[in-house]
Amino acid sequence: MNPIEVEHLRREFKTHIGVIRRKAKTVVAVDDISFAVSPGELFGLLGPNGAGKTTTVKMLTTLLIPSGGTARVLGHDVDRDPEPIRKRIGFIFGGERGLYWRLSGIDNLRYFASLYHVEPAVARKRIAYLLELVGLGDRGKEKVEGYSRGMMQRLHIARTLLHDPEVLFLDEPTIGLDPVGARELRHVVRDLQAERKTILLTTHYMFEADALCQRVAVINKGRIIAMDTPQALKGHVSDLSVVEVEVFGLPPDVLERVRGMPFVDTVSLENLDSRQWMRVQTRRGAEAVPDLMAAMSGLRVGRVVVREPTLEDAYVRLVGGEA
Amino acid sequence: MRALAINVRLFMEGALLSYVALFSWLQPVAYLASKVFMPLVQILFWTMLGTFATGRANASFFIIGNAVQLAAVNGIYGVTMSVGGDRWAGTLPYLFGTPANRLAMFSGRAFMHVIDGMLTVVMGLAWGVLLLGLDFSQANLVGLALAILITTFSTSGLGLLLGCVGLVSIETMFINNTAYVGLLIFSGANIPLAALPGWMQSISWALPLTRGIAASRALIDGASLGSVLPLLGGEVLLGAVYVLLGYSLFRWVERQAKRSGKLEGF
Repeated sequence: MNPIEVEHLRREFKTHIGVIRRKAKTVVAVDDISFAVSPGELFGLLGPNGAGKTTTVKMLTTLLIPSGGTARVLGHDVDRDPEPIRKRIGFIFGGERGLYWRLSGIDNLRYFASLYHVEPAVARKRIAYLLELVGLGDRGKEKVEGYSRGMMQRLHIARTLLHDPEVLFLDEPTIGLDPVGARELRHVVRDLQAERKTILLTTHYMFEADALCQRVAVINKGRIIAMDTPQALKGHVSDLSVVEVEVFGLPPDVLERVRGMPFVDTVSLENLDSRQWMRVQTRRGAEAVPDLMAAMSGLRVGRVVVREPTLEDAYVRLVGGEA
Repeated sequence: MRALAINVRLFMEGALLSYVALFSWLQPVAYLASKVFMPLVQILFWTMLGTFATGRANASFFIIGNAVQLAAVNGIYGVTMSVGGDRWAGTLPYLFGTPANRLAMFSGRAFMHVIDGMLTVVMGLAWGVLLLGLDFSQANLVGLALAILITTFSTSGLGLLLGCVGLVSIETMFINNTAYVGLLIFSGANIPLAALPGWMQSISWALPLTRGIAASRALIDGASLGSVLPLLGGEVLLGAVYVLLGYSLFRWVERQAKRSGKLEGF
Protein backbone atom coordinates (compact mmCIF):
# COMPACT_ATOMS: atom_id res chain seq x y z
CA MET A 1 0.00 0.00 0.00
CA ASN A 2 1.28 3.44 -0.92
CA PRO A 3 0.91 6.08 1.81
CA ILE A 4 -0.71 8.47 -0.66
CA GLU A 5 -2.98 7.25 -3.47
CA VAL A 6 -4.92 9.68 -5.61
CA GLU A 7 -7.27 8.56 -8.40
CA HIS A 8 -9.15 10.89 -10.69
CA LEU A 9 -9.34 13.50 -7.96
CA ARG A 10 -11.39 16.56 -8.77
CA ARG A 11 -12.39 19.68 -6.90
CA GLU A 12 -14.55 22.51 -8.11
CA PHE A 13 -15.59 25.70 -6.38
CA LYS A 14 -18.82 27.56 -6.90
CA THR A 15 -18.64 31.32 -6.76
CA HIS A 16 -21.21 34.01 -7.38
CA ILE A 17 -20.89 37.18 -9.38
CA GLY A 18 -23.03 40.28 -8.85
CA VAL A 19 -25.26 41.34 -5.99
CA ILE A 20 -28.81 41.57 -7.32
CA ARG A 21 -28.64 39.37 -10.39
CA ARG A 22 -26.30 36.82 -8.95
CA LYS A 23 -24.75 34.45 -11.41
CA ALA A 24 -23.22 31.18 -10.30
CA LYS A 25 -19.83 30.34 -11.69
CA THR A 26 -18.00 27.04 -11.31
CA VAL A 27 -14.22 27.01 -11.21
CA VAL A 28 -12.40 23.69 -11.54
CA ALA A 29 -9.32 23.89 -9.33
CA VAL A 30 -8.25 20.25 -9.56
CA ASP A 31 -9.27 18.31 -12.63
CA ASP A 32 -8.97 14.52 -12.71
CA ILE A 33 -5.50 14.03 -11.25
CA SER A 34 -4.01 10.67 -10.32
CA PHE A 35 -0.72 9.80 -8.64
CA ALA A 36 0.72 7.66 -5.87
CA VAL A 37 3.55 8.35 -3.45
CA SER A 38 5.66 5.42 -2.24
CA PRO A 39 6.76 4.90 1.39
CA GLY A 40 9.69 7.17 2.23
CA GLU A 41 9.45 9.03 -1.06
CA LEU A 42 9.79 12.81 -1.37
CA PHE A 43 7.32 13.64 -4.10
CA GLY A 44 7.04 17.12 -5.59
CA LEU A 45 3.92 18.79 -6.90
CA LEU A 46 4.99 21.70 -9.07
CA GLY A 47 3.01 24.37 -10.75
CA PRO A 48 2.44 28.08 -11.09
CA ASN A 49 0.22 30.03 -8.69
CA GLY A 50 -3.39 28.88 -8.99
CA ALA A 51 -2.44 25.54 -10.55
CA GLY A 52 -4.29 23.52 -7.88
CA LYS A 53 -1.40 22.51 -5.63
CA THR A 54 -2.80 23.86 -2.37
CA THR A 55 -6.30 22.59 -3.18
CA THR A 56 -4.81 19.12 -3.65
CA VAL A 57 -2.97 19.32 -0.33
CA LYS A 58 -6.10 20.54 1.44
CA MET A 59 -8.04 17.52 0.17
CA LEU A 60 -5.28 15.12 1.18
CA THR A 61 -5.08 16.64 4.66
CA THR A 62 -8.87 16.22 5.16
CA LEU A 63 -9.52 19.96 5.16
CA LEU A 64 -11.49 19.97 1.93
CA ILE A 65 -14.02 17.49 0.55
CA PRO A 66 -13.25 16.34 -3.01
CA SER A 67 -15.89 16.94 -5.67
CA GLY A 68 -14.99 13.69 -7.41
CA GLY A 69 -12.51 10.83 -7.55
CA THR A 70 -10.85 9.28 -4.54
CA ALA A 71 -7.86 10.06 -2.35
CA ARG A 72 -6.49 7.70 0.27
CA VAL A 73 -3.84 8.52 2.81
CA LEU A 74 -2.36 5.63 4.77
CA GLY A 75 -5.18 3.48 3.44
CA HIS A 76 -8.02 5.72 4.64
CA ASP A 77 -10.36 7.69 2.43
CA VAL A 78 -9.87 11.42 3.06
CA ASP A 79 -13.59 12.13 2.91
CA ARG A 80 -15.20 9.13 4.57
CA ASP A 81 -12.58 8.28 7.17
CA PRO A 82 -10.58 11.41 8.08
CA GLU A 83 -9.96 10.80 11.81
CA PRO A 84 -7.26 8.06 11.52
CA ILE A 85 -5.51 10.16 8.88
CA ARG A 86 -5.32 13.25 11.10
CA LYS A 87 -3.50 11.32 13.82
CA ARG A 88 -0.78 10.14 11.44
CA ILE A 89 -0.09 13.08 9.15
CA GLY A 90 1.47 16.50 9.54
CA PHE A 91 1.07 19.48 7.27
CA ILE A 92 2.12 23.07 6.82
CA PHE A 93 0.98 25.79 4.49
CA GLY A 94 3.50 28.43 3.48
CA GLY A 95 3.57 31.85 5.10
CA GLU A 96 3.68 33.34 8.57
CA ARG A 97 0.10 32.61 9.56
CA GLY A 98 -1.01 29.66 11.60
CA LEU A 99 0.94 30.34 14.78
CA TYR A 100 -0.06 32.14 17.96
CA TRP A 101 2.20 35.16 17.85
CA ARG A 102 1.69 36.15 21.47
CA LEU A 103 2.83 32.76 22.72
CA SER A 104 6.40 31.56 22.83
CA GLY A 105 7.60 28.94 20.38
CA ILE A 106 7.51 26.36 23.17
CA ASP A 107 3.95 27.26 24.17
CA ASN A 108 2.79 27.03 20.57
CA LEU A 109 4.23 23.54 20.43
CA ARG A 110 2.77 22.63 23.84
CA TYR A 111 -0.71 23.54 22.68
CA PHE A 112 -0.46 21.63 19.44
CA ALA A 113 1.02 18.65 21.29
CA SER A 114 -2.14 18.50 23.37
CA LEU A 115 -4.27 18.81 20.22
CA TYR A 116 -2.40 15.78 18.84
CA HIS A 117 -2.81 13.82 22.10
CA VAL A 118 0.92 13.70 22.84
CA GLU A 119 1.52 12.77 26.49
CA PRO A 120 3.02 15.72 28.47
CA ALA A 121 6.24 13.90 29.37
CA VAL A 122 6.74 12.81 25.76
CA ALA A 123 5.82 16.28 24.53
CA ARG A 124 8.45 17.97 26.69
CA LYS A 125 11.24 15.80 25.28
CA ARG A 126 9.88 15.99 21.76
CA ILE A 127 9.59 19.80 21.85
CA ALA A 128 13.19 20.15 23.03
CA TYR A 129 14.37 17.74 20.30
CA LEU A 130 12.38 19.40 17.53
CA LEU A 131 13.45 22.92 18.45
CA GLU A 132 17.05 21.75 18.14
CA LEU A 133 16.26 19.99 14.86
CA VAL A 134 14.89 23.17 13.29
CA GLY A 135 17.58 25.39 14.77
CA LEU A 136 15.41 27.17 17.34
CA GLY A 137 16.87 25.53 20.43
CA ASP A 138 17.90 28.83 21.98
CA ARG A 139 14.85 30.84 20.85
CA GLY A 140 11.99 28.61 22.00
CA LYS A 141 11.12 30.73 25.03
CA GLU A 142 10.72 33.90 22.97
CA LYS A 143 7.36 35.08 21.71
CA VAL A 144 6.70 34.16 18.10
CA GLU A 145 5.93 37.81 17.24
CA GLY A 146 9.68 38.44 17.45
CA TYR A 147 10.57 35.63 15.04
CA SER A 148 11.70 36.14 11.46
CA ARG A 149 9.71 34.50 8.66
CA GLY A 150 12.27 31.76 8.39
CA MET A 151 12.06 31.05 12.11
CA MET A 152 8.27 30.89 11.90
CA GLN A 153 8.46 28.44 9.02
CA ARG A 154 10.89 26.30 10.97
CA LEU A 155 8.58 26.43 13.97
CA HIS A 156 5.79 25.26 11.65
CA ILE A 157 7.98 22.30 10.71
CA ALA A 158 8.54 21.51 14.39
CA ARG A 159 4.80 21.80 15.02
CA THR A 160 4.01 19.38 12.26
CA LEU A 161 6.45 16.79 13.64
CA LEU A 162 5.19 16.83 17.24
CA HIS A 163 3.24 13.59 16.95
CA ASP A 164 5.90 11.93 14.77
CA PRO A 165 3.66 11.66 11.69
CA GLU A 166 4.33 9.10 8.99
CA VAL A 167 3.31 11.36 6.12
CA LEU A 168 4.09 15.06 5.71
CA PHE A 169 2.46 17.59 3.42
CA LEU A 170 4.61 20.68 2.94
CA ASP A 171 2.80 23.30 0.89
CA GLU A 172 5.30 25.85 -0.42
CA PRO A 173 7.30 25.82 2.82
CA THR A 174 9.96 28.22 1.54
CA ILE A 175 7.62 30.83 0.12
CA GLY A 176 8.55 34.34 1.22
CA LEU A 177 11.82 33.26 2.80
CA ASP A 178 15.14 34.92 2.07
CA PRO A 179 17.71 32.69 0.34
CA VAL A 180 19.45 31.78 3.59
CA GLY A 181 16.18 30.93 5.34
CA ALA A 182 15.02 28.88 2.36
CA ARG A 183 18.30 26.97 2.26
CA GLU A 184 18.10 26.20 5.99
CA LEU A 185 14.58 24.95 5.56
CA ARG A 186 15.58 22.72 2.66
CA HIS A 187 18.24 21.21 4.96
CA VAL A 188 15.49 20.36 7.44
CA VAL A 189 13.42 18.75 4.68
CA ARG A 190 16.44 16.67 3.65
CA ASP A 191 16.85 15.53 7.27
CA LEU A 192 13.20 14.45 7.32
CA GLN A 193 13.72 12.56 4.10
CA ALA A 194 16.65 10.80 5.72
CA GLU A 195 14.26 9.69 8.49
CA ARG A 196 12.23 7.93 5.76
CA LYS A 197 9.18 10.15 6.14
CA THR A 198 6.86 10.11 3.16
CA ILE A 199 6.70 13.72 2.00
CA LEU A 200 4.54 15.54 -0.51
CA LEU A 201 6.12 18.92 -1.22
CA THR A 202 4.52 21.60 -3.33
CA THR A 203 6.58 24.42 -4.75
CA HIS A 204 6.87 26.60 -7.77
CA TYR A 205 10.66 26.75 -7.42
CA MET A 206 12.09 24.29 -9.90
CA PHE A 207 15.54 24.19 -8.37
CA GLU A 208 13.94 23.26 -5.06
CA ALA A 209 12.17 20.32 -6.64
CA ASP A 210 15.35 19.39 -8.49
CA ALA A 211 17.37 19.46 -5.29
CA LEU A 212 14.91 17.63 -3.06
CA CYS A 213 12.39 15.49 -4.91
CA GLN A 214 12.75 11.95 -6.16
CA ARG A 215 9.76 12.36 -8.45
CA VAL A 216 7.88 15.41 -9.62
CA ALA A 217 4.37 15.95 -10.98
CA VAL A 218 3.92 19.18 -12.90
CA ILE A 219 0.42 20.55 -12.42
CA ASN A 220 -1.12 23.34 -14.44
CA LYS A 221 -4.72 24.56 -14.54
CA GLY A 222 -5.72 21.71 -12.27
CA ARG A 223 -4.29 18.92 -14.43
CA ILE A 224 -1.07 16.93 -14.13
CA ILE A 225 0.77 17.51 -17.39
CA ALA A 226 3.95 15.55 -16.64
CA MET A 227 5.20 13.22 -13.91
CA ASP A 228 8.68 11.78 -13.72
CA THR A 229 12.06 12.11 -12.05
CA PRO A 230 13.64 15.58 -12.28
CA GLN A 231 16.31 14.13 -14.57
CA ALA A 232 13.74 12.68 -16.96
CA LEU A 233 11.76 15.92 -16.97
CA LYS A 234 14.88 17.78 -18.04
CA GLY A 235 14.86 15.48 -21.08
CA HIS A 236 11.77 17.38 -22.30
CA VAL A 237 14.05 20.28 -23.25
CA SER A 238 17.29 18.47 -24.06
CA ASP A 239 16.95 19.47 -27.72
CA LEU A 240 16.51 23.15 -26.90
CA SER A 241 18.72 26.09 -25.98
CA VAL A 242 17.69 29.11 -23.97
CA VAL A 243 18.37 32.66 -25.11
CA GLU A 244 18.07 35.14 -22.24
CA VAL A 245 17.66 38.78 -23.22
CA GLU A 246 17.73 41.67 -20.75
CA VAL A 247 15.44 44.34 -22.13
CA PHE A 248 14.18 47.69 -20.80
CA GLY A 249 10.45 48.34 -21.29
CA LEU A 250 9.31 45.47 -23.50
CA PRO A 251 5.94 46.36 -25.12
CA PRO A 252 3.33 43.56 -25.21
CA ASP A 253 3.12 43.61 -29.02
CA VAL A 254 6.86 42.92 -29.33
CA LEU A 255 6.54 40.03 -26.89
CA GLU A 256 3.72 38.59 -28.99
CA ARG A 257 5.83 39.07 -32.14
CA VAL A 258 8.65 37.05 -30.58
CA ARG A 259 6.21 34.36 -29.45
CA GLY A 260 4.97 34.09 -33.02
CA MET A 261 8.41 33.57 -34.57
CA PRO A 262 8.64 30.12 -36.20
CA PHE A 263 11.86 29.03 -34.46
CA VAL A 264 10.60 30.02 -30.99
CA ASP A 265 9.31 27.21 -28.80
CA THR A 266 8.38 28.98 -25.56
CA VAL A 267 8.83 32.49 -24.16
CA SER A 268 8.70 33.50 -20.52
CA LEU A 269 9.11 36.97 -19.06
CA GLU A 270 10.45 37.98 -15.67
CA ASN A 271 9.76 41.56 -14.62
CA LEU A 272 12.47 43.29 -12.55
CA ASP A 273 11.63 46.94 -11.78
CA SER A 274 12.33 48.88 -14.99
CA ARG A 275 13.73 45.94 -16.94
CA GLN A 276 12.70 42.43 -17.92
CA TRP A 277 14.43 39.15 -18.59
CA MET A 278 12.94 37.49 -21.63
CA ARG A 279 13.77 33.79 -21.86
CA VAL A 280 13.30 32.21 -25.28
CA GLN A 281 13.50 28.46 -25.74
CA THR A 282 14.58 27.55 -29.25
CA ARG A 283 16.20 24.76 -31.23
CA ARG A 284 18.37 27.29 -33.10
CA GLY A 285 20.51 28.26 -30.13
CA ALA A 286 22.83 31.24 -30.75
CA GLU A 287 21.67 31.46 -34.37
CA ALA A 288 18.34 32.78 -33.14
CA VAL A 289 19.92 35.88 -31.59
CA PRO A 290 20.11 38.11 -34.72
CA ASP A 291 16.42 37.48 -35.53
CA LEU A 292 15.43 38.18 -31.94
CA MET A 293 17.42 41.42 -31.94
CA ALA A 294 15.74 42.43 -35.19
CA ALA A 295 12.31 41.80 -33.63
CA MET A 296 13.29 44.12 -30.78
CA SER A 297 14.89 46.83 -32.86
CA GLY A 298 14.51 50.26 -31.30
CA LEU A 299 14.37 48.86 -27.76
CA ARG A 300 17.14 49.22 -25.23
CA VAL A 301 18.69 45.78 -24.81
CA GLY A 302 21.19 44.82 -22.10
CA ARG A 303 22.85 41.46 -21.71
CA VAL A 304 22.18 38.52 -24.01
CA VAL A 305 23.05 35.00 -22.81
CA VAL A 306 22.74 31.66 -24.59
CA ARG A 307 22.77 28.63 -22.27
CA GLU A 308 21.80 25.00 -21.86
CA PRO A 309 18.27 24.38 -20.51
CA THR A 310 17.61 23.58 -16.85
CA LEU A 311 14.77 21.81 -15.12
CA GLU A 312 13.14 25.20 -14.73
CA ASP A 313 13.10 25.56 -18.49
CA ALA A 314 11.47 22.15 -18.77
CA TYR A 315 8.85 23.33 -16.34
CA VAL A 316 8.31 26.58 -18.26
CA ARG A 317 7.88 24.61 -21.46
CA LEU A 318 5.42 22.22 -19.84
CA VAL A 319 3.23 25.01 -18.47
CA GLY A 320 3.46 26.96 -21.71
CA GLY A 321 5.57 29.90 -20.56
CA GLU A 322 3.23 30.88 -17.71
CA ALA A 323 5.66 30.32 -14.87
CA MET B 1 -10.36 6.75 30.78
CA ARG B 2 -7.35 7.69 28.68
CA ALA B 3 -9.61 9.62 26.30
CA LEU B 4 -11.04 11.54 29.24
CA ALA B 5 -7.54 12.41 30.50
CA ILE B 6 -6.55 13.57 27.01
CA ASN B 7 -9.60 15.80 26.72
CA VAL B 8 -9.23 17.26 30.22
CA ARG B 9 -5.60 18.11 29.38
CA LEU B 10 -6.63 19.62 26.08
CA PHE B 11 -9.31 21.65 27.84
CA MET B 12 -6.87 22.99 30.44
CA GLU B 13 -3.98 23.65 28.04
CA GLY B 14 -6.38 25.32 25.63
CA ALA B 15 -7.95 27.34 28.43
CA LEU B 16 -4.72 28.93 29.55
CA LEU B 17 -2.84 29.18 26.26
CA SER B 18 -5.75 30.42 24.16
CA TYR B 19 -6.46 33.05 26.81
CA VAL B 20 -2.91 34.35 26.58
CA ALA B 21 -2.70 33.89 22.81
CA LEU B 22 -5.97 35.39 21.68
CA PHE B 23 -7.33 37.76 24.34
CA SER B 24 -5.89 40.92 22.86
CA TRP B 25 -6.71 43.04 25.91
CA LEU B 26 -4.21 41.03 27.92
CA GLN B 27 -1.65 43.81 27.96
CA PRO B 28 -1.15 46.17 30.90
CA VAL B 29 -2.72 49.30 29.41
CA ALA B 30 -5.55 47.55 27.57
CA TYR B 31 -6.30 45.41 30.62
CA LEU B 32 -6.39 48.38 33.00
CA ALA B 33 -8.58 50.33 30.61
CA SER B 34 -11.07 47.55 29.91
CA LYS B 35 -11.10 45.69 33.20
CA VAL B 36 -10.55 48.40 35.81
CA PHE B 37 -11.47 51.87 34.52
CA MET B 38 -14.25 50.98 32.10
CA PRO B 39 -16.15 49.15 34.88
CA LEU B 40 -15.73 52.19 37.10
CA VAL B 41 -17.03 54.56 34.43
CA GLN B 42 -19.96 52.28 33.57
CA ILE B 43 -21.03 51.97 37.19
CA LEU B 44 -20.64 55.70 37.83
CA PHE B 45 -22.52 56.63 34.67
CA TRP B 46 -25.55 54.42 35.24
CA THR B 47 -25.68 54.97 38.99
CA MET B 48 -25.52 58.76 38.63
CA LEU B 49 -28.07 58.74 35.84
CA GLY B 50 -30.31 56.28 37.67
CA THR B 51 -30.25 58.09 41.00
CA PHE B 52 -30.77 61.43 39.28
CA ALA B 53 -33.90 60.04 37.65
CA THR B 54 -35.29 57.88 40.47
CA GLY B 55 -33.65 59.05 43.70
CA ARG B 56 -30.62 58.09 45.80
CA ALA B 57 -32.47 55.29 47.54
CA ASN B 58 -32.20 53.22 44.37
CA ALA B 59 -28.40 53.50 44.07
CA SER B 60 -27.77 49.86 44.99
CA PHE B 61 -30.10 48.72 42.18
CA PHE B 62 -27.85 50.36 39.61
CA ILE B 63 -24.54 49.53 41.30
CA ILE B 64 -25.26 45.81 41.61
CA GLY B 65 -26.95 45.60 38.22
CA ASN B 66 -23.99 47.14 36.42
CA ALA B 67 -21.34 45.34 38.48
CA VAL B 68 -22.81 41.95 37.59
CA GLN B 69 -23.43 43.03 34.00
CA LEU B 70 -19.66 43.54 33.77
CA ALA B 71 -19.43 39.76 33.46
CA ALA B 72 -20.19 40.50 29.83
CA VAL B 73 -16.85 42.28 29.36
CA ASN B 74 -15.13 38.92 29.49
CA GLY B 75 -18.16 36.85 28.55
CA ILE B 76 -18.82 38.72 25.33
CA TYR B 77 -15.63 40.52 24.30
CA GLY B 78 -13.07 38.16 25.80
CA VAL B 79 -14.65 34.91 24.70
CA THR B 80 -15.35 36.14 21.17
CA MET B 81 -11.71 37.20 20.89
CA SER B 82 -10.60 33.76 22.04
CA VAL B 83 -12.89 31.89 19.64
CA GLY B 84 -12.87 34.21 16.63
CA GLY B 85 -9.17 35.03 17.05
CA ASP B 86 -8.15 31.80 15.34
CA ARG B 87 -9.56 33.18 12.13
CA TRP B 88 -7.23 36.17 12.30
CA ALA B 89 -4.25 34.10 13.48
CA GLY B 90 -4.72 31.74 10.52
CA THR B 91 -4.73 28.79 12.90
CA LEU B 92 -8.16 27.40 11.92
CA PRO B 93 -6.85 24.97 9.27
CA TYR B 94 -4.29 23.65 11.73
CA LEU B 95 -6.94 23.20 14.44
CA PHE B 96 -9.40 21.53 12.09
CA GLY B 97 -6.66 19.25 10.81
CA THR B 98 -5.96 17.78 14.25
CA PRO B 99 -7.69 14.78 15.81
CA ALA B 100 -8.54 16.87 18.90
CA ASN B 101 -11.94 16.64 20.55
CA ARG B 102 -13.76 19.70 19.28
CA LEU B 103 -15.91 20.22 22.39
CA ALA B 104 -12.87 20.24 24.70
CA MET B 105 -11.03 22.54 22.30
CA PHE B 106 -14.00 24.85 21.93
CA SER B 107 -15.22 25.11 25.51
CA GLY B 108 -11.68 25.53 26.85
CA ARG B 109 -11.62 28.91 25.16
CA ALA B 110 -14.13 30.25 27.70
CA PHE B 111 -12.68 28.85 30.92
CA MET B 112 -10.21 31.58 31.84
CA HIS B 113 -12.76 34.22 30.91
CA VAL B 114 -15.15 32.81 33.49
CA ILE B 115 -12.48 33.32 36.17
CA ASP B 116 -11.38 36.67 34.80
CA GLY B 117 -15.01 37.75 34.46
CA MET B 118 -15.65 36.95 38.12
CA LEU B 119 -12.75 39.20 39.07
CA THR B 120 -14.25 41.98 36.96
CA VAL B 121 -17.58 41.65 38.74
CA VAL B 122 -15.81 41.72 42.10
CA MET B 123 -13.93 44.80 40.91
CA GLY B 124 -17.24 46.45 39.98
CA LEU B 125 -18.75 45.67 43.36
CA ALA B 126 -15.59 46.98 45.07
CA TRP B 127 -15.95 50.28 43.22
CA GLY B 128 -19.56 50.35 44.40
CA VAL B 129 -18.53 49.85 48.03
CA LEU B 130 -15.57 52.23 47.93
CA LEU B 131 -17.03 55.12 45.95
CA LEU B 132 -20.80 54.81 46.15
CA GLY B 133 -21.35 53.32 49.59
CA LEU B 134 -22.85 49.99 48.54
CA ASP B 135 -23.99 48.23 51.71
CA PHE B 136 -22.66 44.67 52.10
CA SER B 137 -23.61 44.25 55.77
CA GLN B 138 -26.46 41.80 55.02
CA ALA B 139 -24.81 40.10 52.05
CA ASN B 140 -24.84 36.33 51.65
CA LEU B 141 -21.23 36.15 50.42
CA VAL B 142 -21.12 32.42 49.62
CA GLY B 143 -24.35 32.64 47.69
CA LEU B 144 -23.14 35.77 45.91
CA ALA B 145 -19.88 34.06 44.87
CA LEU B 146 -21.91 31.20 43.41
CA ALA B 147 -24.24 33.63 41.64
CA ILE B 148 -21.30 35.49 40.12
CA LEU B 149 -19.71 32.21 38.97
CA ILE B 150 -22.92 31.01 37.36
CA THR B 151 -23.66 34.35 35.73
CA THR B 152 -20.18 34.61 34.31
CA PHE B 153 -20.50 31.06 32.97
CA SER B 154 -23.82 31.75 31.28
CA THR B 155 -22.57 35.00 29.77
CA SER B 156 -19.51 33.19 28.47
CA GLY B 157 -21.90 30.69 26.87
CA LEU B 158 -23.41 33.54 24.90
CA GLY B 159 -19.86 34.67 24.10
CA LEU B 160 -19.03 31.23 22.67
CA LEU B 161 -22.03 31.49 20.38
CA LEU B 162 -21.11 35.02 19.30
CA GLY B 163 -17.48 33.97 18.86
CA CYS B 164 -18.60 31.40 16.30
CA VAL B 165 -20.58 34.08 14.53
CA GLY B 166 -17.25 35.89 14.42
CA LEU B 167 -15.78 32.95 12.54
CA VAL B 168 -18.20 33.54 9.68
CA SER B 169 -18.57 37.31 9.83
CA ILE B 170 -16.16 40.20 9.73
CA GLU B 171 -18.51 42.35 11.84
CA THR B 172 -17.34 40.90 15.14
CA MET B 173 -17.02 44.16 17.06
CA PHE B 174 -20.38 45.41 15.78
CA ILE B 175 -22.01 42.19 16.97
CA ASN B 176 -20.21 42.35 20.32
CA ASN B 177 -21.11 45.98 20.95
CA THR B 178 -24.74 45.32 20.05
CA ALA B 179 -24.85 42.35 22.40
CA TYR B 180 -23.17 44.25 25.23
CA VAL B 181 -25.45 47.28 24.98
CA GLY B 182 -28.42 44.99 24.46
CA LEU B 183 -27.65 43.32 27.77
CA LEU B 184 -27.54 46.74 29.45
CA ILE B 185 -31.13 47.23 28.33
CA PHE B 186 -32.62 43.75 28.55
CA SER B 187 -30.86 42.18 31.55
CA GLY B 188 -32.53 44.32 34.17
CA ALA B 189 -29.23 45.92 35.09
CA ASN B 190 -30.65 49.43 34.70
CA ILE B 191 -34.35 49.07 34.00
CA PRO B 192 -36.59 46.93 36.21
CA LEU B 193 -37.96 44.08 34.14
CA ALA B 194 -41.48 44.95 35.19
CA ALA B 195 -41.07 48.31 33.47
CA LEU B 196 -40.28 46.68 30.14
CA PRO B 197 -42.99 45.86 27.58
CA GLY B 198 -44.01 42.21 27.46
CA TRP B 199 -42.09 41.35 24.31
CA MET B 200 -38.91 42.85 25.79
CA GLN B 201 -39.37 40.86 28.98
CA SER B 202 -39.57 37.69 26.88
CA ILE B 203 -36.21 38.54 25.37
CA SER B 204 -34.82 39.36 28.83
CA TRP B 205 -35.60 35.92 30.18
CA ALA B 206 -33.96 34.28 27.15
CA LEU B 207 -30.70 36.10 27.81
CA PRO B 208 -27.96 35.35 30.32
CA LEU B 209 -27.42 37.82 33.19
CA THR B 210 -31.12 38.54 33.81
CA ARG B 211 -31.57 35.86 36.43
CA GLY B 212 -28.01 36.31 37.74
CA ILE B 213 -28.51 40.01 38.37
CA ALA B 214 -31.83 39.41 40.10
CA ALA B 215 -30.26 36.70 42.28
CA SER B 216 -27.24 38.86 43.13
CA ARG B 217 -29.43 41.77 44.22
CA ALA B 218 -31.38 39.44 46.48
CA LEU B 219 -28.22 37.84 47.92
CA ILE B 220 -26.64 41.21 48.73
CA ASP B 221 -29.88 42.10 50.46
CA GLY B 222 -29.40 39.01 52.63
CA ALA B 223 -31.58 36.43 50.87
CA SER B 224 -30.79 32.76 51.46
CA LEU B 225 -29.21 30.66 48.71
CA GLY B 226 -32.26 28.42 48.67
CA SER B 227 -34.55 31.30 47.82
CA VAL B 228 -32.56 32.18 44.67
CA LEU B 229 -31.87 28.63 43.52
CA PRO B 230 -34.61 28.70 40.87
CA LEU B 231 -33.00 31.82 39.39
CA LEU B 232 -29.49 30.33 39.50
CA GLY B 233 -30.67 26.99 38.16
CA GLY B 234 -32.30 28.77 35.24
CA GLU B 235 -29.13 30.74 34.62
CA VAL B 236 -27.01 27.54 34.54
CA LEU B 237 -29.42 25.88 32.11
CA LEU B 238 -29.51 28.91 29.88
CA GLY B 239 -25.69 29.06 29.86
CA ALA B 240 -25.54 25.38 28.90
CA VAL B 241 -28.00 25.98 26.06
CA TYR B 242 -25.81 28.80 24.72
CA VAL B 243 -22.67 26.64 24.97
CA LEU B 244 -24.40 23.88 23.02
CA LEU B 245 -25.70 26.33 20.42
CA GLY B 246 -22.19 27.76 20.06
CA TYR B 247 -20.66 24.30 19.78
CA SER B 248 -23.21 23.31 17.13
CA LEU B 249 -22.37 26.43 15.16
CA PHE B 250 -18.64 25.70 15.55
CA ARG B 251 -19.12 22.22 14.07
CA TRP B 252 -21.28 23.66 11.31
CA VAL B 253 -18.53 26.16 10.47
CA GLU B 254 -16.04 23.28 10.24
CA ARG B 255 -18.30 21.20 7.99
CA GLN B 256 -19.20 24.18 5.85
CA ALA B 257 -15.54 25.13 5.51
CA LYS B 258 -14.71 21.64 4.25
CA ARG B 259 -17.53 21.80 1.73
CA SER B 260 -17.04 25.32 0.47
CA GLY B 261 -13.27 25.58 0.82
CA LYS B 262 -13.65 28.89 2.61
CA LEU B 263 -12.00 27.99 5.86
CA GLU B 264 -10.75 31.51 6.46
CA GLY B 265 -12.37 33.32 3.63
CA PHE B 266 -15.85 34.08 4.92
